[in-house]
Amino acid sequence: MSFLGRGGPSPAGGVNHERIEMAINEIDMVSDVFNRIVSSCHSKCISPRYAEGDLNKGESVCIDRCVAKFFEVNKKVGEKMQSAGASA
Amino acid sequence: MSSQNVDSAPKPSQVQKSGVRAAFEYTGIPPSWFDKRPKLPSRNWLIFLSVTTSIVAYYVYDRRECRRIRADYSSRVEHLAKEPLGTTDLPRKVTVYGAKWPGDEDHDKSLKFFRKYVKPIFVAAAVDYEMISGRRSGDLANRIADEIKTRRRIDAGIEPPSQSPMPLPNQPTLEQKRKRELEGGIVLVGRHTLKEFMSGLKRGWTESMDRVDREDMLAQELASDGRFDEPEEPVIDPEVVDGEPLPTRSRLLPSQNVVLFPLQMSSSSPSKSTQYTSNIPAHLDTPPSTTPTLPTLLLVPFTNHIGFRQVPNMLWGFFNERHKVRAGSEAAYSLIMSHVRPFAAANTIVTASEIQESQLDGRQGGDFDFDLPAESYYDGAYTPSETEKARKTYYDALPAKLATARALARGTRAPTKEEDSHPPPTEVELRAERLKKEMRWRGDEAGWEIVKPGQPVQWDERFVDTLQVFDEPRADDVG
Repeated sequence: MSFLGRGGPSPAGGVNHERIEMAINEIDMVSDVFNRIVSSCHSKCISPRYAEGDLNKGESVCIDRCVAKFFEVNKKVGEKMQSAGASA
Repeated sequence: MSSQNVDSAPKPSQVQKSGVRAAFEYTGIPPSWFDKRPKLPSRNWLIFLSVTTSIVAYYVYDRRECRRIRADYSSRVEHLAKEPLGTTDLPRKVTVYGAKWPGDEDHDKSLKFFRKYVKPIFVAAAVDYEMISGRRSGDLANRIADEIKTRRRIDAGIEPPSQSPMPLPNQPTLEQKRKRELEGGIVLVGRHTLKEFMSGLKRGWTESMDRVDREDMLAQELASDGRFDEPEEPVIDPEVVDGEPLPTRSRLLPSQNVVLFPLQMSSSSPSKSTQYTSNIPAHLDTPPSTTPTLPTLLLVPFTNHIGFRQVPNMLWGFFNERHKVRAGSEAAYSLIMSHVRPFAAANTIVTASEIQESQLDGRQGGDFDFDLPAESYYDGAYTPSETEKARKTYYDALPAKLATARALARGTRAPTKEEDSHPPPTEVELRAERLKKEMRWRGDEAGWEIVKPGQPVQWDERFVDTLQVFDEPRADDVG
């Protein structure tokens, strides 16, 4: 995630606003991805019947793999769209 | 109704039919149907129906048995998945190795077996797995040897342990990572994987821990091979290498030896000894006398049927998948129940006759003979003569291509129309292509050397106490 590289000292003036805009967009994208992951993996992995508060092992493993797959697919789709956008 | 019964009393068959007839007489069914007698279909139909029905029934029975066996084993381990897991704890993770079956273009077959027959039980028991496949013969051995050498280098302090780009607060330390690996386990699918694994293990712990780039080494070797020599008079041609990690070639005259290397290596005679100048002090580089304990191994029997001659085996396998399901599920169950026993290495004291025997049919005794019959199915697999033929055709065609490339590059002749539209490969591309092909051929040959039937499983005395195998769970195990 590249948003960690930002947040350095910014000069006063117009450039500041651009950076803030970009940072806001990035945060929006990241939180959007996060919300999607949470809703998708929750619906797939966690059973609606709650026996105890902690996650059990099956759910943990399922969530691990769900998140890993989601990120991989997200990355691949992003690459494809980039190449499609670059060629078009 | 009663009058009808009295009339037809002497003919009992008609009495029953008249009941039906009475009920259905006016429903539109053709009246002739009431007088017909039921009879079997003809002999041919009977044959056809019985054959078809038996085949379909056997298939259905087999698949239902598969489902039943899987459900049975899953239910035995399900209770493990329902245990709670703390938020910072990690589940148990096993590493699955699957090498390429010799002769099969699809390198994934071993892992497909794992995914279909062993994984469902892991999923039911909430055991995490990481699948590593060897794309070409010998790939897995190389990978394991490299991993072990990296581990040795980290242990010796030469190399810093790998840093993640984003250090998290509760990142596990190296010891914790290794402990988790040990608790996990290793799954080896098939005898060929076992052989490659043991060969990689032995190489990793015996060879020098110097970082070796196989491509570079092969490039050095090929450069001194003389295949790209000029056929005519000695013309020193220092070509510029554009970014490719290959040395240029010039006529190897004793006085002039202008060979440019991108690396800082002393050139001159094409001796391999110059390339092993390791940067590691000699006292650290000796192979250690004891090897650390390895995670417990799970040996999964696997046979891949390929080729026309094995089509009957494939048919048999199609109709008898329940055996594979049972084998895979039992293996998964033994890993989950974690009942271990030491690796049964062969006896070190053998008589002369036993040595002769073992050399004949490759038997070593103990766990080394795991799944030995599977090797008899390497029929039609890779043979070294294939590579020889491929090599011969390639090297026969090479001088012509080289001449064309050189002529076009030097401008001694103008390109023809076809060459304009489809430019032939330049010399640099030819070198790169040769490097790729040689890597592949040599890799295949080396891999076949490891895996071929009759080749014993590699062993080292240091491994004696470090290897364990998952065993059949005892009858009194819970679950």
